[in-house]
This record gives sequence, C-alpha cells and structure tokens, in this order.
Amino acid sequence: MSQTYYLPQSNEVELFSAAAQMNLPVLIKGPTGCGKTRFIESMGEQLGRDVYTVVCHDDLSAADLVGRHLISEKGTYWQDGPLTKAVRNGGICYIDEIIEARKDTTVVLHSLADYRRVLPIDRTGEVIEAHPDFMLVVSYNPGYQNVLKGMKPSTKQRFISLSFNYPKPEIEKEVLIKESGVNAQTAQKLVDIASEIRSLDDTDIQEAVSTRLLIYAGKLITKGFDPYQACMHSIVESLSDEEDVLEVLQKLITLHFAKSSDV
Amino acid sequence: MKMLHYWLEFEESMGKVWDKYLNKKVHKFHEDKRVYFEDISKPLHIFHRLMGGEKAKELQITDKRYVETSRTLLEKISFLGKEFFLTWQDEESVYLPASFAYFSTKQENEMLYYWLIAMAAQIENVTNNSFIEKNQQAMYYLTKRYSGFDVFYKSASQYLMDKYEQLSFLKSLDEQSNQDLIDDYPNPLWIYPPSITLSYANNVDSGDEELTREEDKDKSEELHMKKQANQIDDKHETDGFLAFLPESLMSIFEQVNVDRCEDDSFDEDALYHAEDLDEITVGQKQANLSARIKMDLELLPDNTVTYPLGKGHFVDEWDYKRQDYLLKYARILPQVTLNVIPIELPRRLKKTVKKIQGELDLLQLDRIKNDRLPYGDELNMDSWIEYMSHQNKSMHHQNFYTTYEKKTRDMSTLLLADISLSTEGGITQELRIIDVIKDSLMVFSEALEKLEDKFAIYTFSSLQNKKVYFNIIKNFKDKYDALIRGRIESIKPQYYTRMGAAIRESAKILDKQQSANKLLLIISDGKPNDEDRYDGRYGIEDTKKALQEIKKKGITPFCITIDLDAKEYLNYLFGQNGYAIVRDGQKLPKVLTEVYINLTK
Repeated sequence: MSQTYYLPQSNEVELFSAAAQMNLPVLIKGPTGCGKTRFIESMGEQLGRDVYTVVCHDDLSAADLVGRHLISEKGTYWQDGPLTKAVRNGGICYIDEIIEARKDTTVVLHSLADYRRVLPIDRTGEVIEAHPDFMLVVSYNPGYQNVLKGMKPSTKQRFISLSFNYPKPEIEKEVLIKESGVNAQTAQKLVDIASEIRSLDDTDIQEAVSTRLLIYAGKLITKGFDPYQACMHSIVESLSDEEDVLEVLQKLITLHFAKSSDV
Repeated sequence: MKMLHYWLEFEESMGKVWDKYLNKKVHKFHEDKRVYFEDISKPLHIFHRLMGGEKAKELQITDKRYVETSRTLLEKISFLGKEFFLTWQDEESVYLPASFAYFSTKQENEMLYYWLIAMAAQIENVTNNSFIEKNQQAMYYLTKRYSGFDVFYKSASQYLMDKYEQLSFLKSLDEQSNQDLIDDYPNPLWIYPPSITLSYANNVDSGDEELTREEDKDKSEELHMKKQANQIDDKHETDGFLAFLPESLMSIFEQVNVDRCEDDSFDEDALYHAEDLDEITVGQKQANLSARIKMDLELLPDNTVTYPLGKGHFVDEWDYKRQDYLLKYARILPQVTLNVIPIELPRRLKKTVKKIQGELDLLQLDRIKNDRLPYGDELNMDSWIEYMSHQNKSMHHQNFYTTYEKKTRDMSTLLLADISLSTEGGITQELRIIDVIKDSLMVFSEALEKLEDKFAIYTFSSLQNKKVYFNIIKNFKDKYDALIRGRIESIKPQYYTRMGAAIRESAKILDKQQSANKLLLIISDGKPNDEDRYDGRYGIEDTKKALQEIKKKGITPFCITIDLDAKEYLNYLFGQNGYAIVRDGQKLPKVLTEVYINLTK
C-alpha cells in the first residue's frame, strides 16, 4: 500500500514502471515544485525499492556520490556513497538537479546509464555490477538557463526522458485538498491564483508559483490564518522581489480573497 | 482706455470664477483623490498580462470622445457633459483615460484602472451592436470569479448611478438591452468600441516618410493619445493660390509640385493644439522630394579614419545547396578606427552601471575552493585519510591542503556586434538601435571589467563576400579605458550582415584564448543578410553551420537580438536556450549584463 500521495497526470507511472522493468535510466525535466521528487518517492513505494536521493550542488564531487575512506579507531575504512549503496543493494538512486553538479562528477554515471550497468571505483579497485533492482533517475529544471552548466549531450542521451509540468487545475485542486486540508472553494481559489500567475512569462517573474507553495498556503489557511495573509507569505513574497510585481500579485490576492474593507 | 482695461480684466476674472463654479457643479469629481495612469502604468501592464490579456498589447492614454447625451441645464449652460474619456481597445493597444477622480478615495480610483484592465482582457472586438452584451458578460465573469471585483463593482456602480442619474438604465439591463439607453450617459466601468481611426497611414510611401521623420527628428514631439481622425482628399495640385504673375518674371521654370496654400513653418504649439482638437483631419499629399534642399553645413568635421590592418584573409562559407564548403570564399578585412577622442563614461549610463556593479559585488563574494594542494589554508581530512588508507603510498602525492581563493571565473568572452545599416533604424524618435548597441557595449564592458573576466569587442558589417569588415574595438590584450569608450562611441552603421564569416573569424580569436570557458555573445537586430545571395535561407544555413563549427571547438555561442520577429530563425540557429529577445531596446544595456551573469554564474 502506497503511503505517499501522488496523483498521476498522464502515463508517467506506466512509463516509469516499464523503464524500471527494462533496466533503463530515466531523466525527469520540469519546473520547481511541480511534483518530481514526490513522483519518484511514490514510484519507489509502488515498485518496492528504496530511494537514495542526492541533491546536487556546485561542490558535489564524485566521492560524494561513490563513497570515501573514513577513519576509525582501527584505521581507515571505506564507506559507500548513496550511488554505490543503490548499485550494490538495489534501489532507485535519484540525483536531483543534476545540472548543478560539476560536469566531471556526472561522468561517473555514464557506465551505469548504458548497457554495461557497472560502477568502477578507482580508490578501492572495485568494479561493481549493478543489482537487478538498481535504477538510475536524474532530474533537472530546464528553466534555469546557463550555458556553462548545461547538461552534457553525452549524459543526456543515455536516458528515457519524461517532461513534467504543473498539474492540470482539477488535479492540482484535488492535491491541495488532500495535502493541506482546505475546503474545495479555497482550493479552487488557490488554483485560480496559480493559473493566473503562471500566465506571466519570464520577463515578469523568473519562475511561476509551484504546487508546493500552494500547499503551504493551504496549510496556513487550515491552521487558521487569514487567506490573504497566508497567500502573501507563501506565494507572493516567495515569487519576486520587484516592487511592481509584488504590487500586482498583492492586488490579485486581494481580488480573490476580498473583504469589503480591502477595496 | 484704463477703464476699459479694468473692465476687461474684471470680466475675465469673473468668467474664471463662473467656469470653476460650473465645472465643480457639473463634474462632481474628487480632484484631490485623482489617480494618474502614468503613476501606475507598470503594475497595470503586468496586471494586463496576468489577467490573460494579449502579451504584445500596449496600454495607452485615450482622447476624449463626443457623445450625444441628455444633458442637465447646468451642463448645457457650461457646454460640458458632451465629451468623455472612454476606455477602448484595438489590436495593438488598450486605451485608457489619463486619470480618474470619480470616487472619493484614491484606492477606488486606482481600482477602476484595474477593473478596466481586467474587463479589456476579457472583451475582444467590441462593436456598437455587441458591446452592451460583451460588457455585461465580462462584468458577470469578473464579479463571480473575484470577490474583490464584486465588492468594487457593487459599490462603484451604485455610487456612479447616484451621482449620474442618467446611468440608472444599468439597473434594467438584465431585462432589456436597448441600444438607445446607452447614449444616455457613458458608463466609466465599460469598454467601448474603437472610435474612427486612421486607415490611411498604411498607404503612405514608407521610404519617403522615414526620410522626413529623420530630418525633423528634434522638432517632433509625440502626442501621447489616440485622436479621432478624418481624412480629406487634397491630391489635386491646382488648389494652390498663385501669389504672383509668372509673366512678369524673367525666369525659366518647370512646374513643381508644391502646395503653396499650406503653411510649412513648424508650429511650436502643435502638440497643444492637437490635444485640444476634437478630430484631426489628415491630407493625403505626400512630401515632395524634389522640393527639398540639401546643403552642407559647417559642422565639426569627423576626424576618425578607418584603418585597414593588412589586406585581409579568407574564411570558408557553407553552401547549403551544394552541401559543401566554398573554400576561402569570404574575405575578412580587419580594421581599426584611428583618431578617436577618448571619452569618459557618458552620464546617462552612470546610474545603470552603478546598479549593475552593485549586483556584481555580491557575485564576487563567492570564493572558490581548491582541494588537494601541497600547501594551503586548511588540512583536508579526506585527502589525508585517503593517503593513510592507500596500500602503496609511494604512488600517492601528499597533497593534503585546501585553499579558498577569490573566484577566478576562467572565462573569455568575445562580444560581436552587428552594425549593419538596419541598426540605423529608430527605436524611438530620438534613439536609434545603434545608439542602444553602443550603450550596451559600454555598460557591458564596465561590468566585465568589474568581474575581471577577459573580454574582447568586435563589430562587423559586410559588402558581399568580397568585403567583410571586422572592426576591432578592444582585443583581449587591450585594457578597457577611455580610448576604448571613444572607439565604441565612433561606431557607425554600414552595409550588411554576413554573420557566418564574422562568427568564424571570432571563433579563431577565441580559440587562441587559454580559458576553460569561452563565450561568443552576438548582438544583432535581424537576420543574417547581404546584397548577394547571402539572404534568406542561404545566410541562415551558413550561420547555422558556423555555429556548429564553433560549438565543436568548445565555444558557447549566445545571441541577443532586438528583432521582434526573430523567434523562428533564432530557435533554429541557436537552439531554445541559446538566445534572448529584448523587446524593449532601451533595456538592452541592462539585459545584456544580466544575461551574461546568468549564463556564467
């Protein structure tokens, strides 16, 4: 029985399951907060595999993925990194925001992502063959444009790709009700606000409001916060620092959650 | 005489008082709570996009419109209540009144703008026959969806109906929608059909028009509103009044197409008069080329000399029809401008530069960590443990240290600016594309100087494959200083855009740099083209090929363009993440730096 709540949008569950069966690595693209990580967690539960998540950053080295020697009373010993653990024991190794990692780091994935499915570890001299239940999943947000940080084509072309976007309004509404406990009417308002903000393009705001932020707003409302306050702190302030944009977003929230004293 | 003067003055001041009294009585406005469009135009623009209005649409100020209403006695006495500022829209813009003072609070007057914007985003193509229905629909939609608008609409319409009795027809609109009713009094909460507009503008010979505009540049002011317009047929050339008898003059002449009846001196108050007119009537007579006089004026001579550096060299060009290279086909002519006057950073750019440099200061706080050094700031435990755990220590270097150093970005950037003749075109009446490109180059240089990134600036233009001019503004070794600014200032638009050749030449220069990251930033205002076959697909395919070549060399190309129709070919040339379109050319200096920082952060 799955614990994590995830509402499928189209055929992503079938595709992912098929890829898992056929030992194919998966690449997931999509904006922040649209449900990528949630999807992987839910798939891990459905497939009965552990999920090892690594969130990438500038300083992430190959050792952070593969493992390193540590020191103990008896001397040094080798400790597996999350990738090596998944390779040895089986499970889903989910490498989030892979674009943030240094290019030389991601090269260790190459031999795992093709037919070989092996992980060579230089420091211990091992070549580990992947467990039959091992699956490699990476994700990134194509919205962040950075030429010096783009994904190497040689890495990209080893994956089955799935594109994610914000959920359709009806699905998002259902997610909101389930996750934050707001009533249907408030959920509808929050979804309306989101769809309007998402109609702005990147000249106005860098990235539109995520489902995650809507859930935060919903949670604050259920907790007893005034809807206007809840939206201001979870949605408006998180989206932009520009005064004009803030003014308009604030106006939008007032329009949706008006009290007669506001207008 | 003195008495008369006194009497006139008295009458005038009495008139003013009476006028003020009537205005106050009739208009019922709250002047001290007036809200101006100009003050909130930026949020309104964003709100328009947010409400789903067409993104390319502009928001502008509308002119008053004459409406035949039933007027009160006071209105009739005061000649008021005939003209109204009504909101309407066409394909290009939404036209809004310049200010509102209907309501007793600023908040409500401001809200009226937001309401009208939301209405305009809902309503499209209103006509005289459909506009009541469409306004009603939009009103229902907005009040149902937004409780804020619901509250506003209820109180606003109630207030307006109380103040302007003629508006009470709104109450009965649900039952009947009678066209006659709306002439009673225009409703400030509605979107109205467009007024008669100028259809003749399209028929003017555009080339000729351009020239006139260019010459009158400093005299022209813009009328910031849309006027009702009418058109007369004044093409007959015999209407001119002949003020002298030609027989009395000993002269040889040809008939010249000059219309003597018009006063061609510049009217200083034209803008003022235009604003005041109910309707502007436009003739069809075109400017007369042969009647113009050209003369040389005693202006400061341009002392700059473009100096060729060598006889040039050749680069290949891709012929997509043959699917092969034309070897050594395009001739690159490197040149440099001499005798330029060194200049300081122009005052108009100082604010932008300061702002950008402030942002860059934050970037520089990042330090870079260097691991596995034989000496350094901190002992790196990982390296030490690794060393200790190694069986064969003789093969292992004892590099146990980590240092933190100021971030060196290891970047070389070559900025390639297209200075073809099309950049002579105007963004506004005062500002040409080339001016914006020059400003961009200066602001960008200031930013890169601050970042301590290595950079070079080149411009290019071409005359067929025989002459591809490649001007050096700053090479990688030059220091950015007043002289470089002078060179940027001396850039002049010329010829065409053979982009492929310029890209290949830039790649050669970038290739020699030792940096790990190499970026070629191209600023352009349109498609690659030249006066030979290098136009359309041929030019695009060659440019595409050149870009592929440089990518193989590890150079990242990125294009910034001011060409609004650019999307299709740019996507093909640079890929989805390889370009940026700057819609407002004047923002180019700022955008360029931002793009660069985002690209290399």
